[in-house]
Amino acid sequence: MGCIGASVFAPFILRQAQDERSKSRQPLPMPFVVSLSNHERLVPLMRGLLLILMLCSGSAHAADVLHLYNWNNYISEETIARFEAQCACRVVQDYYSDNEEMLAKLAAGATGYDLIVPTGNAMESLIRQNALRPLDKGLLPNLKNIDQAYLNTAFDPGNSYSVPYAYTLTLIGYNREKMRELDLPVDSWAVIFEPRHLEKLKGRVTVLDSQRELLAAALKYLGYSANDTDEAHWKQARDLIIRAKPYWAAFNASSYIKELTVGNIWLVHGYSNDIFQADLDAQKAGRKFRIVASIPKEGAVLALDSMVLHKSGPRPDLAHRFIDFMLDGRNSAELTNLIGSGNPNRDALQYIKPEVAHNPAVFPGRKQQARLEMLRDLDRHQRRVLSRIWTEIKLR
Amino acid sequence: MPGCSCVTEPARKLVTAARLTKWVVSGPPFLFLLLFFVIPGIIMVLASFRYPGEFGGLAPLTAADPATLQGVTLETYRFFFSDPIYGQVFVKSIFMALATTLICLTMAYPLALLIARSPKKSRDLMVLLVILPFASNFLIRVYAWMIVLGPQSALSRLVNGLLHGLGMEPVHLLFSPFAVLVAMVYVHLPFMVLPLYTNLEKHDPSLLDAAQDLGASAWQRFWRVTFPLSLPGIFSGSALVFIPVLGMFAVPDILGGTGDMLIGNLIKEQFLGTRDWPFGSTLSIMLTIAVLLIAWLAARLAGRRGSYG
Repeated sequence: MGCIGASVFAPFILRQAQDERSKSRQPLPMPFVVSLSNHERLVPLMRGLLLILMLCSGSAHAADVLHLYNWNNYISEETIARFEAQCACRVVQDYYSDNEEMLAKLAAGATGYDLIVPTGNAMESLIRQNALRPLDKGLLPNLKNIDQAYLNTAFDPGNSYSVPYAYTLTLIGYNREKMRELDLPVDSWAVIFEPRHLEKLKGRVTVLDSQRELLAAALKYLGYSANDTDEAHWKQARDLIIRAKPYWAAFNASSYIKELTVGNIWLVHGYSNDIFQADLDAQKAGRKFRIVASIPKEGAVLALDSMVLHKSGPRPDLAHRFIDFMLDGRNSAELTNLIGSGNPNRDALQYIKPEVAHNPAVFPGRKQQARLEMLRDLDRHQRRVLSRIWTEIKLR
Repeated sequence: MPGCSCVTEPARKLVTAARLTKWVVSGPPFLFLLLFFVIPGIIMVLASFRYPGEFGGLAPLTAADPATLQGVTLETYRFFFSDPIYGQVFVKSIFMALATTLICLTMAYPLALLIARSPKKSRDLMVLLVILPFASNFLIRVYAWMIVLGPQSALSRLVNGLLHGLGMEPVHLLFSPFAVLVAMVYVHLPFMVLPLYTNLEKHDPSLLDAAQDLGASAWQRFWRVTFPLSLPGIFSGSALVFIPVLGMFAVPDILGGTGDMLIGNLIKEQFLGTRDWPFGSTLSIMLTIAVLLIAWLAARLAGRRGSYG
């Protein structure tokens, strides 16, 4: 039984280990420092502690540290280095690979993060848990650079807590040469869901191993909102998925990048920056095909990641400086050039490589933009109903 | 006889020392099991009777606003039993675990026998070779199967070439129940070989000589002497394979196709995707009960066999 327990809880155990690691890198918690300074006789002790801290880190600016809790590979090294030079401080990053992981770690009591970069729905739950610090917009003159379309979202009306960082689209990615050869449409979810197209692609298609994303794609194809919660519509979506499933190779959320690059998989339901990555890798490997992304005409899901201040962060001043720094088009553009993420910053466009800037999956046109939707969080009852549907889909 | 008067002082000291040693030696592992197995187990049982929280975790037992107050409930159990689909996932996983165990057993038995009957020197080397795969990470070994079974691989080409020659449709080896089964067997084979080997190694060769002298054929010697004696090894090996396979989620996640969900995946999904800890706990408890039931059945079968064998 121990083995089962261990395998089921391994992710949590790993996370716990990461917690320990990150804690050791964090400065003294605020309340501790404050309470010490209240007592005159403890001041020498505090000085001594500070001195030890400074000696240990071997830097004169040991106290000026910004703790950034960010997605894996979600900022360019050059950007970090430039900010460190500008603010004469150090940026310490911790990473997560999905929102659930980040939420779970914070729920487990991780503290000391100045800045976090959650996706819309995860940010909403942080706001409702009262875990975030309101922004001081007077410190963010570059906020004017952000495209209005990405401000004032339902997750944070009026942007009291959040500033858009970058976004990802969930769309269709495909092997351009193969799709041409098979003469298949690439502008519609039909190619993912309709057996008449899939017949030519049997075993060469993967879809995301994500309940919400796959359901959203199916709902969009059926003409509903991605946030539709009508159970009858969900059942229609389930039937659509079950009908298409025999033609798909797998539900896959990570190795599809490699499979696209190698040429084993020709069509995916995936994330825009993963597809961008697959194309870069394919070109690097000298493949004779390109991997291209397209936004289906029925619409797609947009996941907007925003910078927010966590209440436990000791340096909101540095965090504000960092946000304003990232709002500078040049810095924001570096990320897009690196990973092909969508950029909500109008000022960034001039610094973006032309081949990326002309990629409609990275910069959707106005018309396509109107068909993009951000996913709202489901309540616990809806989550359980969806999980039941998902089990049925996977079991059939 | 009055006990204490005849025990000498040094002897009493020895007894106390032995008792102390027993506690010092068994204390830490006992504490470890208590902290990391019994207590989490109890937490899991308690969690299964709660409501899921709005943001994951558990709904609060006490709340300022009575409307959000959620007490204790049997709802998750009702949900589990009212729907045959979860039972189906269990049945499917148990079949997968049984198949893996049987294949491991048939592959491991001859190997373990071979090792046990080899000369001492090569025996140690062979045991080392059996353990060697553990030197590389489990996930890397599973990922390696993606390459071995992928459509571009030599194996896939060979199989599909043969099928083509027979005029049959090509098959996809990767992302299939076959891939899951192969990797499950691959990963768990050493867990079957080692207990079998430790058992077989201890068999007294003179028993086989005696059987031969009494006129038993080679097959009879195996079936009437070696096999019954090796039953404890078979049972511990089977338990070491069956139970982990039942809870495995990584292999179906990586190598499975669109229909290869097992209980492990379902439980993982409850904690990470659905954020439904109570239902995840309920599923884990049901899994524990299923394993205990199967172990009890196996033990009864073994007992019956042992009584006439």
